[in-house]
Amino acid sequence: MLIVLKMNSVGEDCTDLKREYDQCFNRWFAEKFLKEDRSGDPCTEMFKKYQHCVQKAIKEKNIPIDGVEFMGPNKEKPDS
Amino acid sequence: MKIWSTEHVFSYPWETVIKAAMRKYPNPMNPNVVGVDVLDRNLDTDGRLHSHRLLSTEWGLPGIVRAILGTGHTRTYVKEHSIVDPEEKKMELYSTNITLTNLVSVDERLVYRPHPDNPEVTVLTQEAIITVKGVSLSSYLEGMMALRMSANARKGWDAIEWIIQNSERENVPLCELY
Repeated sequence: MLIVLKMNSVGEDCTDLKREYDQCFNRWFAEKFLKEDRSGDPCTEMFKKYQHCVQKAIKEKNIPIDGVEFMGPNKEKPDS
Repeated sequence: MKIWSTEHVFSYPWETVIKAAMRKYPNPMNPNVVGVDVLDRNLDTDGRLHSHRLLSTEWGLPGIVRAILGTGHTRTYVKEHSIVDPEEKKMELYSTNITLTNLVSVDERLVYRPHPDNPEVTVLTQEAIITVKGVSLSSYLEGMMALRMSANARKGWDAIEWIIQNSERENVPLCELY
């Protein structure tokens, strides 16, 4: 039996964009990135559309994203 | 403040485990996670992949707990930062709650690496700093939370195993599961 579970976005309207992006990313991650293939990222445009939707949802829901300190390593924001 | 840590070995190679870790949700062990989004993702100058994600969790808290928390909102949010180094074979994940921060902070750090003695298996080291705020029973509550973290960690390992096995059983590579 194939169990198919799908995850939602935090913004309900963004779920389709999220799933499309995730599919693209997971493929790139497994087939290119982990094999240290540095050829370009095919998911950039998809990510932009998805991001635009998510940022709107975060504002609408008042999710407190900014100003949270991590215990992670200090780093300046890397170039994309 | 309470510090909790644990270590676990997955009987799968590192690449298999982190592919599952990157796709951990949804899974039957974590039904409370109802939303996952990527906020930012980029490669640094060392070729490591940074991802910043937002998780929303729905606890279905009983009415009295909601009354104590003083909120009708039962959605809590967690922010995650992961770093994957494909050359060094190391994945780090940092997470912290961004809601209920006036009551409690749970900062977690997870590191996945191949086992030093056996490269076919993967070690996960996991630690958390738990701080309960403004309550006189704080060290007692922190102790209770540490116990809960052990139970949750076990669920997390089962979740990774489930993701790996669910794709193996169907002979579908992890990236094709959707």
